Amino acid sequence: MTNDRAVAELEEFLAERADRLLRTAVLLTGSREAGQDLLQTALERLLRHWRTLSGDPEGYLRRTLYNLAADGFRRQGRLQRKLLLLRTDTRPPPDVTAQVDLRDALVRMLVQLPPRQRAVLVLRYWEQLSEAETAAVLGWPEGTVKSAASRGLRRLRELAEGWQPTELHGTKRG
Amino acid sequence: MDMKTDVEELLRDGMGRFTEGVRAPAGLASTAARLRRRRRTIRAAVACGTAAVTAAAAVATVTAAGGSASRAPATVTQTHEVAYVVNRVKAALTTENLVFQGKTTGTYGPSTTWAYGHRWRWEEFTGKACRHALPSGDCTHRGGSERYLATGTARAGGKLTGAYVTYYNHEYSLSPITTTLPTSACSRTARLEMSGPGVTPGAHWADFINATLACGAAKVTGHVWIKGVQTIQITGKPITVRLPPGEAKAVREKWARDGWTLYVDPATYLPVRITGWNATFGGPASRTSGSEVMDVQWLKPTAANIAKATITIPPGFRQVASPATQ
Repeated sequence: MTNDRAVAELEEFLAERADRLLRTAVLLTGSREAGQDLLQTALERLLRHWRTLSGDPEGYLRRTLYNLAADGFRRQGRLQRKLLLLRTDTRPPPDVTAQVDLRDALVRMLVQLPPRQRAVLVLRYWEQLSEAETAAVLGWPEGTVKSAASRGLRRLRELAEGWQPTELHGTKRG
Repeated sequence: MDMKTDVEELLRDGMGRFTEGVRAPAGLASTAARLRRRRRTIRAAVACGTAAVTAAAAVATVTAAGGSASRAPATVTQTHEVAYVVNRVKAALTTENLVFQGKTTGTYGPSTTWAYGHRWRWEEFTGKACRHALPSGDCTHRGGSERYLATGTARAGGKLTGAYVTYYNHEYSLSPITTTLPTSACSRTARLEMSGPGVTPGAHWADFINATLACGAAKVTGHVWIKGVQTIQITGKPITVRLPPGEAKAVREKWARDGWTLYVDPATYLPVRITGWNATFGGPASRTSGSEVMDVQWLKPTAANIAKATITIPPGFRQVASPATQ
């Protein structure tokens, strides 16, 4: 198989999956830029093994994505993590009402969780996988997935209880 | 309200909203293939087996372990790392036959630089701080960013000559081309130009960068992702220079302190970003400081791209004696 053919096959593979995979990567990293870099790195690894891969390439890609995310954040220094938080925190909301929405706040709080907890929550609540399926993707024991999810949700509830909605009655644009 | 259920449901909804509208760009597979070829090139270079090349791999390892430069005194290995990277950058700059394009933003407003051989063009824009400029050059702070002035080389009378164009009053002046080529390493001019403000050093960007790197006061301080490329970060040691008398009088300061950082593509060793900062002090005026970021692209030397490195005097513009009257 030539390289060109592998690239063409990968493009075809991505045609219906790329958007969703990028959204997953964005949730894992907290920003579009970092998400795109993460997905690109995972695709590079997939391409490396494309010819010899047996089984489902999507499963391989998702496992790579999640494991890279956990691994990558372990390598990031405090400064980069802080910058990621700042970038997430200062991202302009799509509209005024979103600012008070706990849903949006929770996703921003997700960035503050350790990468393993974040990966599990994205798999369970974004990908809507069961605990067993999540464990299979990450290559972890099911018990590890359960405890990571439990700790992650507990932390999010703590953060949510301390969250105060921003007043809607501020400057009205018009 | 059942907080347990609610957090889970809200999180699920929130994830959907957060990623709404996120669309993957086209060509992901091609980009992955390109990244893979690039890493193969680097691995092949590393496998050459010399101590200096091995040191380059050590640079990547240092970065992977944490990304920040060691504060311990430079070891022999670290000195070789810098020397290897610097030499590769210098070689790339010396042998490249590409058109330099740098887009700058920062304290001194937006500008763009093109350079190729003896041709160069630096354009300054009014930016958000000024917007539409009156014929007097004064800012109205209304409207959008406009081209404000350009300096560089232009074709006049069939030959390449120096030109200075002011768009706000439709005037231009011509002058002999003056070379700003630094004559030695640690050139003060080069160091000041690298750090801003956005006055172009002219056509010889590669020589300016080389002269500054040859000064020996640079460190490889890590790797930084810029637009999908894991660049090598080279940080220059800040210096303090006495301002030239004319400039000192104009800004009412005596000294300038400046620093710069270069971000280099490890596949080509060409810079992709240059950042600089400077501060003036020591005179009766208040201390000033500024910083700039220049994003660099290296364009193919097509006729169209080479033409970017030359100013075109707009028809109808009035020629005046010198920039001093513009």
